[in-house]
Amino acid sequence: MTAVLVIALREFRSFFRIPVGWIVIALFLLLTGAVFATAILVPGQPATLRPFFAIAGWLMLPVVPAISMRLFSEEFRTGTIEPLLTSPIRDGSLVLGKFAGASMFLLAMLVPTLAYPLTLWLVSDPSPDPGPIAAGYISLLLLGMLALSIGTVASACTSSQTLAFLATLFVMLGMLLVPSISTQSLPLGAQRILNALSLSPRAGDFAKGVVDTGHIVWFVASTGWLLVLATLALQSRRWR
Amino acid sequence: MVAIDRVHKWYGRIHALRGVSFELRPGQVAGLLGPNGAGKSTTIRILTGLIPPDTGRANIRGHDTLSDSLRARAKLGYLPESAPLYPEMSVRAYLEYRSRLFGMDRTVRRSAIGRAIERCWLKDVEGRRVGHLSKGYRQRVGLASAILHDPEVLILDEPTNGLDPTQIAQMRSLVRELGSDRTMLISSHILPEIEQICSRILIVAAGELRADGSPAELIARHGGPARLIVEARCTTEKAESILGLRESDASTSELTNGWTHIDSRCAAHEPDPRERIAALFAAAHVPVRELRLVTSTVEDVFLALAHGRGATP
Repeated sequence: MTAVLVIALREFRSFFRIPVGWIVIALFLLLTGAVFATAILVPGQPATLRPFFAIAGWLMLPVVPAISMRLFSEEFRTGTIEPLLTSPIRDGSLVLGKFAGASMFLLAMLVPTLAYPLTLWLVSDPSPDPGPIAAGYISLLLLGMLALSIGTVASACTSSQTLAFLATLFVMLGMLLVPSISTQSLPLGAQRILNALSLSPRAGDFAKGVVDTGHIVWFVASTGWLLVLATLALQSRRWR
Repeated sequence: MVAIDRVHKWYGRIHALRGVSFELRPGQVAGLLGPNGAGKSTTIRILTGLIPPDTGRANIRGHDTLSDSLRARAKLGYLPESAPLYPEMSVRAYLEYRSRLFGMDRTVRRSAIGRAIERCWLKDVEGRRVGHLSKGYRQRVGLASAILHDPEVLILDEPTNGLDPTQIAQMRSLVRELGSDRTMLISSHILPEIEQICSRILIVAAGELRADGSPAELIARHGGPARLIVEARCTTEKAESILGLRESDASTSELTNGWTHIDSRCAAHEPDPRERIAALFAAAHVPVRELRLVTSTVEDVFLALAHGRGATP
């Protein structure tokens, strides 16, 4: 457990030692701030953060791969993976540490956005309903962490950050767009598998303020399985 | 202490290691010498647990590098080729991070970092970012991180690769000092480096361990017969008759001003015939300006074994 924390903290700090970390946070806050100022903070409108959660959800598409692409790819490229893999740490702890560090960065990116509900609280009458706001944040975190676990797998498979970025982006897009794809022509079994992998209905429910335990379990379990997959991908490098 | 037993490794169709076996005793400093692509890095990667052998076994202090990998790694300090580090971290922060990875508590950590900084002469740069350091300093930071947990076994892969002559000299003396109290395996393709640091040399080529022993043992076992170089003022025929040579035994050539150069092989029963030869020329009243014995060096042995040439001195 100590090793997980040590790796997570190094990873988290490293995001702030390179420009990418600051740029990602700045762009995320700039765009969500613009949405907040123009679409939410409008006199006469009901106090809701739904437009913010909608745009933040879509922003996860480029933001998360940008965070996760360097987790392992950079270590493979520079060779720093060798001292890591020859240290007395399990591969699973290494993956978990990297993922935890990236999740901490995601959290650090979301914390400043708490200013939006606080502002809404101060200026709107009646005050916004806290339920959908809490559900929205839980949704963003779960979505972000699931996407990060996809990114961790991609990054553990290649030394190219570009490839890891694109693979993560396309897998996320695929999971979001499944319902839009006509699945009627597919056999029933395939339709069920595609729907089980689909992200949008679950994220959509969260955005409406519905916190379904089934959805939470789905997100957490998927993230867990993907991290196991990332560990296997890392181990497979030893055998190549 | 460190053992590798009948290890084979294939990369696709390439048979990178062909049944390599050796064992290092405690406190021994051995050099793994071979041309590029000989199998040095593969051997090291198997010993450090980075890759598994296809057949055979490797262990560090009795811990199998595959089935008991975590314990084996805990006993091991490893400096990979060109010391990969995180450029954005300071030297101290990096050593702090590495010591935490080895599970050291605060007090142990503090003294271990202080000791490593002192032993690797990093005091002046401990607060500087790794990315701003010269290659020589980066190698030293890598070495400091490898000795933080005071490992009983230290494995260094090409520790002087890419360094300038001053940095090479500094690194060598540092490595020599570190080898005084632990078992060490150093891989290199640079012979003088291994000769200066190691008491035992393992020569690998084409995936095979071709020779194993101290420099003197390697020369005795694999070196060719010594050669005698003579330059005397006489004709080639006279020189050959004094020396009692047949044409096949030596190569002779006439130089200017009546001097003759003779390059002959020494007989196995008389490894150093200089005194006898000097007496023969003196008895024949022939002036001699050179009488030199040329014996095989480790380099001759290395070239012969690594590239399949004859080990002639």
